[in-house]
Amino acid sequence: MLEVTNLSARAGIFVLSNVSLNVLPSSCHVILGPTGSGKTLLLESVIGLRNPQAGKVILEGKEITCLPMERRGLSYVPQDLALFPHMTVRENILYPIRIRGGKQDIENGIVRELVDSLGINHLLDRSVRNLSGGERQRTALARAVASGCNYLILDEPLSALHESLKKELWYLLKDLQRRYDLAILMVTHDLEEAFFLGDTVSVILDGKVCQQGTTDYVYQHPASLDVAGFLGIRNLFHVRTERVTRDSLQAYCEDLGATLKFPRSTLKSGSAETSSFAVGIRSEDVAILMPGESKPDLTNIIEGSIQDIFENGAFLTLLVTIRSSSTSLEAALPRVTANKLGLSRGIPIFLHLPEESLFLVVRGSPDRLR
Amino acid sequence: MTFRKISIACSFTTFGLYAVLILSLFYFFQGDKLVDTLLSERTLFSVRLSVAAATISTVFSILIALPAAFALSRYEFPGKTAVDTMLELPMIVSPAALGAMLLIFFNNPLGLWIQDHGAQFVFTFYGIVLAQFITICGVSTRLIKAAMDEIPSRYEAVARTLGASPGKAFLTITLPLSRRGIIAASILSWAKALGEFGATITIAGSMAMKTETLPIAIFMRLSSAEIEGTVILILILVSMGLSILYIVRSLSKGSSYA
Repeated sequence: MLEVTNLSARAGIFVLSNVSLNVLPSSCHVILGPTGSGKTLLLESVIGLRNPQAGKVILEGKEITCLPMERRGLSYVPQDLALFPHMTVRENILYPIRIRGGKQDIENGIVRELVDSLGINHLLDRSVRNLSGGERQRTALARAVASGCNYLILDEPLSALHESLKKELWYLLKDLQRRYDLAILMVTHDLEEAFFLGDTVSVILDGKVCQQGTTDYVYQHPASLDVAGFLGIRNLFHVRTERVTRDSLQAYCEDLGATLKFPRSTLKSGSAETSSFAVGIRSEDVAILMPGESKPDLTNIIEGSIQDIFENGAFLTLLVTIRSSSTSLEAALPRVTANKLGLSRGIPIFLHLPEESLFLVVRGSPDRLR
Repeated sequence: MTFRKISIACSFTTFGLYAVLILSLFYFFQGDKLVDTLLSERTLFSVRLSVAAATISTVFSILIALPAAFALSRYEFPGKTAVDTMLELPMIVSPAALGAMLLIFFNNPLGLWIQDHGAQFVFTFYGIVLAQFITICGVSTRLIKAAMDEIPSRYEAVARTLGASPGKAFLTITLPLSRRGIIAASILSWAKALGEFGATITIAGSMAMKTETLPIAIFMRLSSAEIEGTVILILILVSMGLSILYIVRSLSKGSSYA
């Protein structure tokens, strides 16, 4: 396991504060954050390119904070891949083996298997300057894995690729991870990439880790308004607790002009006494009901009208104006469903906010709730 | 007249200035004296002395410039700005002053001790090499640093995470990637050493067949109003210099890895 404990680092006036995270063997931990949030500074401190001001980096029980980069056992792929331009693909891949005085025969063992699995056999004698983006990626990954390190440190390695190639490489990276039993610590600002590749995630904003957990948990339960905002959740409203029972919680939302009901489990421990929260729901979790459609036993129904419709590939995004206030709520639904419903601007609709899809954020909550 | 035309005209004016100077040499050029002057023992000695001294001083300067340039390009350390500024000293101080500084140093207790217990520098071949070394060392370091600055340090970082020690990363990544820049810096330094005059004559004097480098030979022939011989020596120096610059230009093409 790779452990980072209370690591602080500085680059100019930017400060990375007190970061702790764990990368379990054979898992992928993603550091997710916007540009300038300190993700790369964190990675550079972990690999030893920068000296941290405080904190420890521990690999499989051994502290490596002060070890030189070549003795850390972490293989690094930077954003621009840093393929050695004076070498061929073969020489790049063999570099970590040759530099350690190892066997140079690419036709044998792990390197051959690696080259085959990445589909770059035909590129071996080509200069890396003549490779396409995807080929460069594969070569950089092959070189990193050929080093024999079980821990890969990836700094937004797929950011320069177009969508289809990026997705192809997601699968490839997953396959490599399983095949070679790799633990990966990677940085990205791409939400889809983070949730696809990551087993666990740390959301980092302004040099601080704001939330950590499994990707599933973080996706469903953003811990703060900042995290929710960064995760692209636009439906965030303030609510005031009206009633807390053993099973549920009722809170009035002035923005939506309605009392919303939540499962009691939505509340974090110790926060039951708090009376003021923010409530959020992802646009794709909002259900659309047409006037006259029966809605027996449904809670959290809100009346509104379609203000605008935006095309978003396979989905349509609706901006709905709530009837009892001027607030807008965003809903996303598959194009096929939208076409069936015959939606258009100005028509009245009902929005259903399923209890299980709502999440609560304590206002003024500490940075990390979990 | 457009800005483009004005700027191109200026570039040709610069070219013209030097071209006129070179062409004007031919006014005093006497073909029949060419072979005699070229093959005279004194000229051959000057050429050999100049080439040998320039080569030795260039080798020494590159040996120290390589690690120095790497340190200035890659590391932060106390006094870095002072070191970096000092590299310009040979460019801002006149060569004669640089030579005078050397002469004064060898008349100080430390300098005298070195002369007594080590090599004699004043009025000797070693003095020529030292004068040229002092003149080109800063330039070599500056040029090699510029070449290394072009190479992203991430290459070395990645090499190190792949198992290379700092020394191996330097030898396998930085050095090959900056190879063209280092060769260009060596050739330019050599050319500068070949043409060095002020510092050399100050510390090594102008003794015929002893410390008479090519530039000193030109000065001495001019002093004795031997214009035809001076022209031929200048043409030798110009031919050597321009050939070297042509080689540097060829090497510099496509050298960027950034």
